[in-house]
Amino acid sequence: MRGLSEPKNPPAFQIHKRSRRIFGLSREEAIRAFFGGQALVAVVVLALITVFLFREGFGFFAQQRAELTRYRRSGVEFVDLLRAQEKAHGELGRRLGLRGEAADRFADAIVPLRALLGELGEWALEIKESEESRADGAPTRFGEVAEITAQYPKIEDTFGELTAQLGTITESSPGLSPEQRAQLEKHLSGFGATLAKLRAWDAEKPVSGWQAARSFFFGRQWLTASFWQDFYGVVPLFTGSLLVSAIALGLAVPLGLGAAIYVSQIAGARERSVIKPAIEFIAAIPSVVLGFFGIAVLGQALRALSQVEWLAWLPGFPYAERLNALTAGCLLALIAVPTIFTLAEDALASVPRALKEGSYALGARRMQTVARVIVPSALSGMVSAVLLGLGRVIGETMVVLLCAGNRIAIPDFSAGLGVVTQPVHTMTGIIAQEMGEVATGTIHYRALFVVGLLLFLIALTLNYSAQKILGRYRLPSLR
Amino acid sequence: MKNPLRLLSFLAAGFALTAIAPALQAQKLVIKGSDTLGAKLVPTIAEDYRALNPGRSFEIAAEGSSTGIAALISGTADIGMSSRRARPAELSNGAAKGVTLRPLIVCYDGIAIIVNAANPITTLTKRQVEQVFTGDLRSWDDLGSGAASGPISIYTRNTASGTYADFKALAMNKRDYAPSSQKLAGNEQIVAEVAANPNGIGYVGLAYINAPGVKVVAIEGDLPSKESVLANRYPYARPNFFYTNGEPQGEAARFIDYVLSEAGQQVVERVGFVPVR
Repeated sequence: MRGLSEPKNPPAFQIHKRSRRIFGLSREEAIRAFFGGQALVAVVVLALITVFLFREGFGFFAQQRAELTRYRRSGVEFVDLLRAQEKAHGELGRRLGLRGEAADRFADAIVPLRALLGELGEWALEIKESEESRADGAPTRFGEVAEITAQYPKIEDTFGELTAQLGTITESSPGLSPEQRAQLEKHLSGFGATLAKLRAWDAEKPVSGWQAARSFFFGRQWLTASFWQDFYGVVPLFTGSLLVSAIALGLAVPLGLGAAIYVSQIAGARERSVIKPAIEFIAAIPSVVLGFFGIAVLGQALRALSQVEWLAWLPGFPYAERLNALTAGCLLALIAVPTIFTLAEDALASVPRALKEGSYALGARRMQTVARVIVPSALSGMVSAVLLGLGRVIGETMVVLLCAGNRIAIPDFSAGLGVVTQPVHTMTGIIAQEMGEVATGTIHYRALFVVGLLLFLIALTLNYSAQKILGRYRLPSLR
Repeated sequence: MKNPLRLLSFLAAGFALTAIAPALQAQKLVIKGSDTLGAKLVPTIAEDYRALNPGRSFEIAAEGSSTGIAALISGTADIGMSSRRARPAELSNGAAKGVTLRPLIVCYDGIAIIVNAANPITTLTKRQVEQVFTGDLRSWDDLGSGAASGPISIYTRNTASGTYADFKALAMNKRDYAPSSQKLAGNEQIVAEVAANPNGIGYVGLAYINAPGVKVVAIEGDLPSKESVLANRYPYARPNFFYTNGEPQGEAARFIDYVLSEAGQQVVERVGFVPVR
């Protein structure tokens, strides 16, 4: 009403009340500007965070490409191809399980290759380090790599010796089973392929940006602060995150959805007034307190439980490490239950009463109504609740940093369900663990940002799908 | 606001307080870095120093040697504790930012290999230590008679730790740790996990070996102690450093002088490290 032109009264009756104006705006406009400004600030901050993440993280791929180029040009990659052979020899030894004299001869057979590796490795490492500390304009030592690859005949001879040694072991050990012989044969037949790779290796082959990206997203090793070569592969961390999230959801979804269905459909008013606040109270516990509880109590208790004799049939029981994916998964389930419960309960409560009443009118019993009418109608809300619970659990840091065991390796899925008792490391945990030690702008710093970016995109996708599912299947309200 | 003057006076008081705050903080010494030094030794010495010189305050954050050097380079710490030497990459990074990393040896330390108290093994060769921690040997049976049986659970520090890097250089021939090793944040955590796991093995500084549930393994007959470290008999001995930006000045210099004095070195010995003299 203020601001509109007012009718002109005779002087005695003119209104002289000045309308309060703050910064030139009337009070309503000021309030609107204030709240609108808050919303704008929130959106701007979100945009800035996204831009900042992308800016810091994207520099990683260019740096990784330069790093991989240096890895190749200094001959370190060549030596690693040889080293893979040494590792395979060790793996074979473990698989064969030889004993006594055969075992000693097996271990001795690899010694010439190991000595050659040591020599070439030191040389390649020196070339790489000289390149890293080289001043601009000084000559590079990459020319020496040709001399390393020129050692190929010597490598071939060493492989020949190794083949002969393994052959002698096979012949002079009558106690070998046919499958052990088969494994040895298979190992020996792989030598040809390795030698071909070594022969075809080219130090000057360019590294593409796609390869740099692939080395991150599909790399199976995350190794930093190494004297040899750093690898930034996210697969072990990603599988660790997925494993603890799967365990957490496996526990939280039945508990959370079951509690939601019970509280919203079956419980009486008094039960509801006790259970609902209790579950929502769990959300108030700080996650670092839960992590501490995990180290101090839960890890020990679960391990003692696994040592109980009549539980030994469970996959993965008994186990030795207190800090593993199971401990972290249980605590994360505790964190996820309130989220899933609250949202699922809201979804169930917003099913129109007409559906319930119609079902009763048609003669259905209460449990039939719940199972066949109400839960299916609220299904989209419950799925959305589970997705949001997953988003919460994947982003949780303190609990996994303290309780998941911090083993940076892809969990051994050949143990079947027993994989849950293995220690793992997660994407959130690695950021929290390593962020204190990285200097700004280094490749490690940027690699951690790309891991953060990956988490951000995962959480964004989960939230977006949760919203979409909720919106698409929302029932029209029947009044 | 009924009275705009009241608002102005509040703001003025706020500005005045923020001006005083830096002056109050002038006496605070920020020390960041190694968990080996910063978990027990430096807080103890800091307490003694504070008893002698009231009015000083310390902020000690022990998250690993690498964090200390990084903090010194970025200017957020006065002294960086480190249980390893700074790497060439860190020195050049510091030089690029105008920071000269100057090391000062404050004590010596031995890295002790610990196993669970129930494990019958008492001695290991250097080769066996390398094989265990790089993952060449994966089971206690492979260490010969006199050991427990079962898979070996390796507990190490994480990449922020100087002890992690020192151990790699001294014991593992610069090879990488086994992928099955679990990376823990500090010495106390390693002690706790090895004490709880009968298959566990790990390494800690000399000051942490007297905990219940763990026992120290001799390396080719030498147990880690002050005598064997000073006599250079124990193979995994290393100096621990304080890094400063150039020559230490002011409060930092006074504190470092106290650490290197007779009183400070007595505390070093009491906590379990080896004094520089």
